Amino acid sequence: MKASAAPSRSSNANRISATLVALVAAAAFGGTFLFDPVPPGLPGLGAVEFPRLICITILGLAVLLFLQEPGQPDPDNVAPDRGALAIWACCALFLPAMALAGMLGASALFMVVAGWLWGERRPILLAGVAAAFTLCLWLVFVRVFRLTLPGGLIFGG
Amino acid sequence: MEGFLGGLAVLVDPYVMLMVLLGTVLGIFVGALPGISGSTTIALMLPMTIAMGPVPAICFLGAIYCAANFGGSITAILVNAPGDPSASATALEGFKMAEKGQAGLALGMSAVASAIGGIFSVVVLIVAAPLLAQSAYSFGPPEYFALALFGLSMCAAIGGDSAVKNLIAAALGLLIATVGMDLTTGVERYAFGVMELSDGIGFVPVLIGLFAFGEMLDQAARRYGKPTIAFTDAARVPGWAEMRKCARSIWIGSGIGTFIGALPALGATTAALIGYNETRRWSKHKHEFGHGSIEGVAGPEAANNAAVGGSMVPTLALGIPGSATTAIILAGLIVQGVRPGPHLFNEQPTLLYAVFASMLAANLFYLAMGLYMARFFARISLIPSAFLWPAVFVLCVVGAYGPNQSMGDVYVMLAAGVVGFLFRRAGFSPAPLIMGLVLGGMVEETLKQSLIIFGDDLSGFLGRPIALLLFAVTAAGLLWPVASRLLRFARAARA
Repeated sequence: MKASAAPSRSSNANRISATLVALVAAAAFGGTFLFDPVPPGLPGLGAVEFPRLICITILGLAVLLFLQEPGQPDPDNVAPDRGALAIWACCALFLPAMALAGMLGASALFMVVAGWLWGERRPILLAGVAAAFTLCLWLVFVRVFRLTLPGGLIFGG
Repeated sequence: MEGFLGGLAVLVDPYVMLMVLLGTVLGIFVGALPGISGSTTIALMLPMTIAMGPVPAICFLGAIYCAANFGGSITAILVNAPGDPSASATALEGFKMAEKGQAGLALGMSAVASAIGGIFSVVVLIVAAPLLAQSAYSFGPPEYFALALFGLSMCAAIGGDSAVKNLIAAALGLLIATVGMDLTTGVERYAFGVMELSDGIGFVPVLIGLFAFGEMLDQAARRYGKPTIAFTDAARVPGWAEMRKCARSIWIGSGIGTFIGALPALGATTAALIGYNETRRWSKHKHEFGHGSIEGVAGPEAANNAAVGGSMVPTLALGIPGSATTAIILAGLIVQGVRPGPHLFNEQPTLLYAVFASMLAANLFYLAMGLYMARFFARISLIPSAFLWPAVFVLCVVGAYGPNQSMGDVYVMLAAGVVGFLFRRAGFSPAPLIMGLVLGGMVEETLKQSLIIFGDDLSGFLGRPIALLLFAVTAAGLLWPVASRLLRFARAARA
């Protein structure tokens, strides 16, 4: 087989994107059947027609994308390494940490851990920046804007 | 004129002036930070403006928008890393000038050209927006429906990999806008019994997630090395000879930038790239381009700042965003209870003219700061990512939570961030999704109203010449690339 005949990574990416988009549109179209019925006697478009029209448009566009010639892949799109996965995990753990340490406590903790994972290896500087930033958050949101930030079980409850 | 003087009077309020000054400093600051764009910052700041009241809030956001475009040029020139995407054209010649030892002159010309472009476009805004609003008084729901469709179709050219991807993103935005209670029938859509979804998905968490959290997830995967400042030169005010040399480029850039900005969806980055090409085309010193041409700095800088005022014209006069950033500002106005459109000029002229005046003030502020503090702002690019991006995430969470004090909004922000990240990875731009989300309500509402007016007969649109013209322009814009490709195939087959 000639090299040019093989689908490129980018064309596969387009096809995967198109398939995912089509699935979302199909699910949204299916979702319109779960809407409550429109009260009788109301003029004009009902509640389901507009979302269905959009879903059909998206499905049509997904077909176009599936058939489209691929563009150049973005060279900056590097695969996430272990460090990136760890940072993403940190983001995912922010909300559970908030339940324990409150929003301000979790923020300080996150700044230190994520900063370390990002490559900063000076713990005192990390802790200092995290503390200063958390203080600024408290000043701006709690003192100035009078917001009540969520507290946690062991801090700020 | 009376209205504009009223706007100036509002600006004399020290609180409003302070907000404009803070917005300008913040705009230059984030503009100079590679990775954080003006739109990301405005999305992040949106929750903080809710407590400010409409006038200071919009003046603050407008000042950030004006200054971020200029701030991007500082690191584009000194570090060859455009702080804002709109400064990418400036880096082409600006960094070459810095390499030749003319960094100060490039910074000075960038500040002056940006300010001229920005002020020119605000003057156009002051003149054109009321005229456009006046002509839009005769618009009914069919015309607004056609106009909103035209705005969405312009998303095809907004950026990203392909027009089809942009249109898909815009359509997904429209779909998200349907979540919640349909106001004409009272039927809940896609709420799945979740109370928080009954009111629809809020703009603020989606904006923060798509722009800021999505970018943070992407940056975590890239984790670039620490940037270094290549050249730290103090900005120098351009002399008479340099100004004469660049006058044509500045006016070309200002004109193109204002025009492109006024077209729905197209913003400063497109304006700067076209401004750069046209400056080179009309230059008498074409041979200097690619080797550090001062005209190549002046043209795109005037263009990207002129696009700011231009993009506010349809945003304020018609309620149709002129760019991704103005879509966020439009969302900010809606959150403040202000619905932009022609009636705004009668109902809240002071607010509008205060916005115009604050944009003029922001242009003058960043001119002064750019000339005297460019070296300081260039050092901003040295802030380590290890501090910056975790702080951005924390701001995303607090910002999403803040306005309604709702954890539901935090979950929406996180979901939108993951979507934003996947969008970036797959070559989709998040900007059209925002356009779709902001315009979604208007598109559905005006379509329903039009059908009621026409008695459910779509042919009623045929009797509305303005709507028909807009449909024709929309169809031509969407079909032209296909038609031109078919023509090329036909010509190739004949040959």
